[in-house]
Amino acid sequence: MSRGVPAVDEEDGETEGPEQSVSAPVTQDEPERELTHEEFDPKGTLALILMYFTILVVMWVFMYFIEFLGNDLVVVG
Amino acid sequence: MHIHQYEKLWLGMSLVLIVGFIATITYGAVGVGVTMVDDSGGNVDPNALDEHPEFSDPGVQKVGENEYEAYVVARQFIFQPDPIVVPANSTVTFYVTSADVIHGFAVVGTNANTMVIPGEVAEVTVEVNEPGEYGIVCHEYCGSGHHTMEGLLRVVPEGEYNSSDGGEQ
Repeated sequence: MSRGVPAVDEEDGETEGPEQSVSAPVTQDEPERELTHEEFDPKGTLALILMYFTILVVMWVFMYFIEFLGNDLVVVG
Repeated sequence: MHIHQYEKLWLGMSLVLIVGFIATITYGAVGVGVTMVDDSGGNVDPNALDEHPEFSDPGVQKVGENEYEAYVVARQFIFQPDPIVVPANSTVTFYVTSADVIHGFAVVGTNANTMVIPGEVAEVTVEVNEPGEYGIVCHEYCGSGHHTMEGLLRVVPEGEYNSSDGGEQ
């Protein structure tokens, strides 16, 4: 019996064996390498967040200090 | 609970961002003195603006060194006076009221922006720096001619300002 992902119409009984990643080879039973919590570093996500953060800060400074306070007719009363 | 260092980093960054937003708003209010338009302008009888000491002859008057008061009447479908002329590098307080229905008073492209309610005086104090011209629009629907209701705020260099004509040119 195939240990891959069964087609829907075949899924009429209990699933045999442990749950397995779709992308892992069918012959692989164990994870190739265990990562601890600290070892998993989503660098791409970090880069994306830093980029968003920079955009936010730059836009805020521009909007508040240059457009809002810098333009004429500042309401003071 | 163990939290990944990246997660600590972006949690900290979002907190810094919130504190930064609040700090800049506080700086604007305390340091620069930006305020909101409130109801300090008081009341007036909209049917007797002709007898009002200021609104009967709307215009700009000098009340101190570099301090001016502009009395503006909004009515269907004009602003009086038009144009409003003030000198550069001054503090101008607009007192705006309506002679008929609710109007708006917005100096386009700036934060000077208020509702104009008959019976109420909207008081807006602004710092005027550079000479230039600003459009004024009514942004509250006030009738069939609403879309034509506009005025002009002319900021002239200090030397060219002639206070004796009440700011009208």
